[in-house]
Amino acid sequence: MNQPAQVILLTDADNPVGKAMIRRFAGEGAHFLLNSESNGTAAIAEIDFAKASGSKVIVRNVDLSADAGASELVLLAERELGPLDVLIHNNDRLVSMSIEGGPEPSYREVINANAKSAFLCARAAGKVMAPRESGCILFVSSIHAEKPTGSSFAYSASKGAIKMLAKEAALELGRHGIRVNTIEVGPLEGDNERFQSSLTTLYRSYDTKVPSARLGTAEDIANVACFLASEEARYVNGADLRLDGGFLLHYMDHKMKQPRSGDSP
Amino acid sequence: MSIAGKVVLVTGSGTGIGQGIALEMAKRGAITALHYNRSEAGVLQTKQQIDEAGGDSLIVQADVSKQKDIAAMVRQIESRAGEIDVLVNNAAVQLNYDLFKHDGETFDRMFDTNVKGYWQCIQAVVPGMKRKGSGRIILISSVHAKRPTDFDPVYAMTKGAIRMLGRESAIELAPYGITVNTIEPGAVDVGKYNLILPDDPDAEKKREARRKHHQEKFPMGRVGLPLDVAHLACFLASDESEYMTGSAIRLDGGSMLL
Repeated sequence: MNQPAQVILLTDADNPVGKAMIRRFAGEGAHFLLNSESNGTAAIAEIDFAKASGSKVIVRNVDLSADAGASELVLLAERELGPLDVLIHNNDRLVSMSIEGGPEPSYREVINANAKSAFLCARAAGKVMAPRESGCILFVSSIHAEKPTGSSFAYSASKGAIKMLAKEAALELGRHGIRVNTIEVGPLEGDNERFQSSLTTLYRSYDTKVPSARLGTAEDIANVACFLASEEARYVNGADLRLDGGFLLHYMDHKMKQPRSGDSP
Repeated sequence: MSIAGKVVLVTGSGTGIGQGIALEMAKRGAITALHYNRSEAGVLQTKQQIDEAGGDSLIVQADVSKQKDIAAMVRQIESRAGEIDVLVNNAAVQLNYDLFKHDGETFDRMFDTNVKGYWQCIQAVVPGMKRKGSGRIILISSVHAKRPTDFDPVYAMTKGAIRMLGRESAIELAPYGITVNTIEPGAVDVGKYNLILPDDPDAEKKREARRKHHQEKFPMGRVGLPLDVAHLACFLASDESEYMTGSAIRLDGGSMLL
């Protein structure tokens, strides 16, 4: 979208969305600091692609739920790549657990991995962005910030928390020229397995509940992220963009998109 | 809309909204467990008012950020009054720190009480409610589950988390006849701030300024009171609310619409 190279901090480079982000932003000439639990091996093809496209790429594996982790990454990015333009928080930990019997360590794991890291990253990025009166923070969240999963309350609670963090930051950091937005993602291929639940029929025939009868892809998310990070989105702040093809508009099972004759099976 | 004879636990009964809910429920004949952590003077005052009104209540102490404390509290209530019919999750921490003043430690402290505490209190009362085949769980949240505070981002995060805790619990517990609903109050006058003393020479001027502020900011012309929240909580606690679950009700005199 015709803009100068950006310095991007991406918090989970290993998951499919993280990988798509690398490819999409590399195409825009961005440079990356990637946090990766696999130390980059899970995203090696994307990292190679980015490097071949002329991007500088630094990979770290830091615990972002500890106070020092996020600051360390932000300062490293600033030192090695230049002023941090974009933080993309992409952590998406899910541990299945019930309200009734869920163990505390599972709750803590999910809240820390998703919500606490989001808070600590926004705080660390905000600190360096605010004096420059410029910057962009994106949270890749989930439709489960609104819709219960029936499989992990800690997951949806963490996404609900991030939704409010983004709105708070859009106000507080917004006064310092920083835009903060959330993409609420779903349904993706495999989500019926990932969010398996006996309590909700949400993911039953989940593809045909989307009016276009097409599931979302990591590329769809990366495209929206790229727009939100661009100058063209300069007035978009504090928005949560539901990127679900209209999936959540579905109520009961009255109508579904039916295959038409002549459609390929 | 009777709640007489029901066993109710209200967490955070020593102050503000919790105090108002406990008092009203006890007045309506509920056997009310008054939980507090540090507000001992406040909870004694709540108890005294209930005694004077001829109500039945007991005081229980617990740090709801600790599961062990919660379990002991519920055991104590059950042995004295029987299994709990109504849980009102209300006890919460608010630090009023901005984004940069908060850190990992304050984040944990707030989540441990405001979110984990709500969840583990639910866990503790569910077995008894399942045995009875019915139960009412009420989560006191805030309009800041939807609208940012602009004074404490982590507080709003905990309220955003509670929004989903309410929805998830509603679908998980519905098969047992247990409903879970959330009240989202706006500004509530809990008598803590901006006290105008009777001997203040500017008292009348200050009262007038406050009246004007309320008229401008609250379509109903006044700020909320603990009793407003209590009235709604009593409905949610009653049998008449049977079909209502997973709802979040904004209770703010219309202020969020302005």
